[in-house]
Amino acid sequence: MIEVAGLRKEFRTRRGQVVGVAGVDFQVAAGEFVGYAGPNGAGKSTTVKMLSGILTPSSGRITVDGLVPAKHRRQLAQRMGVVFGQRTQLWWDLPLFDSFDLVRHLYRMPASTWRRRLDELAGLLDLGPLFSQPVRTLSLGQRMRAELAAAVLPTPRVLFLDEPTIGLDVEAKAAVRDFLRELNRAEGTTVILTTHDLDDITQLCSWLMIIDHGRLIYDGTVDRLRDVYGTTRVLVVDLVDDVRVEVEGAATVRAEGRRRWLQFARDELSAAELIARVLDRHEVVDLTLVEPDIEDIVRRIYRGETAPTSG
Amino acid sequence: MRAGAAVYRRLATATLRGRVTQPAGFVLRTLGTGLVVVTEIVGVVLVVERFGSLAGWTAPEVVLLVGLGAAGQGLGLVFGDRLEPSFFSEVVRKGSFDHVLTRPTSPLGWMVASYVEVRFLGRVAVGAGAVAWAADRAGVDWTLSRLLVAVMAVACCGVLVFAISVLGGAFTFYTVEGSEVVNIFTYGGVSLSCYPMEIYGPGLRAVFLWVVPFALAVYVPALVLLGREGPPGLPAVLVWLTPAATALFAGLAAAGWRTGIRHYVGTGS
Repeated sequence: MIEVAGLRKEFRTRRGQVVGVAGVDFQVAAGEFVGYAGPNGAGKSTTVKMLSGILTPSSGRITVDGLVPAKHRRQLAQRMGVVFGQRTQLWWDLPLFDSFDLVRHLYRMPASTWRRRLDELAGLLDLGPLFSQPVRTLSLGQRMRAELAAAVLPTPRVLFLDEPTIGLDVEAKAAVRDFLRELNRAEGTTVILTTHDLDDITQLCSWLMIIDHGRLIYDGTVDRLRDVYGTTRVLVVDLVDDVRVEVEGAATVRAEGRRRWLQFARDELSAAELIARVLDRHEVVDLTLVEPDIEDIVRRIYRGETAPTSG
Repeated sequence: MRAGAAVYRRLATATLRGRVTQPAGFVLRTLGTGLVVVTEIVGVVLVVERFGSLAGWTAPEVVLLVGLGAAGQGLGLVFGDRLEPSFFSEVVRKGSFDHVLTRPTSPLGWMVASYVEVRFLGRVAVGAGAVAWAADRAGVDWTLSRLLVAVMAVACCGVLVFAISVLGGAFTFYTVEGSEVVNIFTYGGVSLSCYPMEIYGPGLRAVFLWVVPFALAVYVPALVLLGREGPPGLPAVLVWLTPAATALFAGLAAAGWRTGIRHYVGTGS
């Protein structure tokens, strides 16, 4: 579905040439759900913008569904859906329904097909009650559901999502994820998802690419990565007294003032059990459980904790 | 424009429907663009009457020029106002243009339809009214061919103003920042070209003839309407060149726009 070879993008700025994407190669098969992760400024969005025909690559080759995005922009647009995080593609001042109606005309959908599709999506995403509301009055969660519906209304073959769950509450995130999972499963839509949220990746994606400083540093299954990072968590403990903490099953990986970072293995020790052990021996002001984030994983990949790129 | 005119009409309608939430403001802004032309024309009449004539042109004759230019400029701004860097850079900076590029439509068509500025029809109306009034005072004998020349003048001036806006938009793809430079041409250029070319030196005349052919779109057609010969080097017969010169300039603007899009970088994220 997607083939990328030697892809580069350089930007000219006042401070000279900046490399956004520094030579990236990958392939995505039709129907795959691929996560594209990395720290801020790593080149995620730049890659997606080149895949969707918004930016012209400085060099390298891209084909999406057999088309060269920057060259066959409109043709590709007809088969592609996009949702870009906090920017809207809906008509802000008009009732939501009008946006869907405009999409019908933009993508020249037959009225009956459109009607059936819209009914189906409105059911899945619970949009019916919102049809008459101007888009600007929707909550972020409602709007994101509407954005998704607008993006997949013309039944795209490939869907590009840039941080679709950013800023959403737990419930709204779950709604978005359920919908995407079902779309990918039922329609075989190829999905490329850029995100900061590791839960997005572990719950949705089968394949993961991690980009940093414009280069892919991981290209493999999510399971393989989870085997490595998924095994440890960190408990941050604020003590009353500045003392050494020694608890069975956890190692102090960092100490600052009266704060300790205790790393422990997820499958050997529950958080509850560890907290009980700490409280048993020490007087504690505060506790925080830290799940690994994408920056964390990037650091670990550099430290060699997981094998780098594998096909 | 492969998607067909109907799509763009729908986009424009959607935009207008979003705006009629405040009909009073909408009407006032439209009247405003017309009133500006009225004050311009009153100013021209007062000044020219004071001196009797301007380079041999009577006040109504000069008003005919101003009217043609204002109507054409209004027409161009209906479609092109929001492509000018001061506004368009906002569209680019906010990332809205990213979405425009993911649609199966022409980006330029999308911009024009989605940001149509109907209020400038006020300018077109008052400009046309001024032409009618001035032609009557100057004793223009309205034949069909003269009417066609007048319509062509307004249309070509409109296309030139629009084309300059498009170039301004293309320029924004590189700079991303707003700049008022384009206004010098869209507003300044038209204003300057709405005076008898006799008052300008050869340099400025050449610019209006060969660079941005405003003189061909406004001044030369006015010569035809008024039955004037025109000065040496700028004869009325050049009116035959007007459509081709306008089309050429528009073609350059379109090429500039396409090149600009290839260099579009948008915002960082």
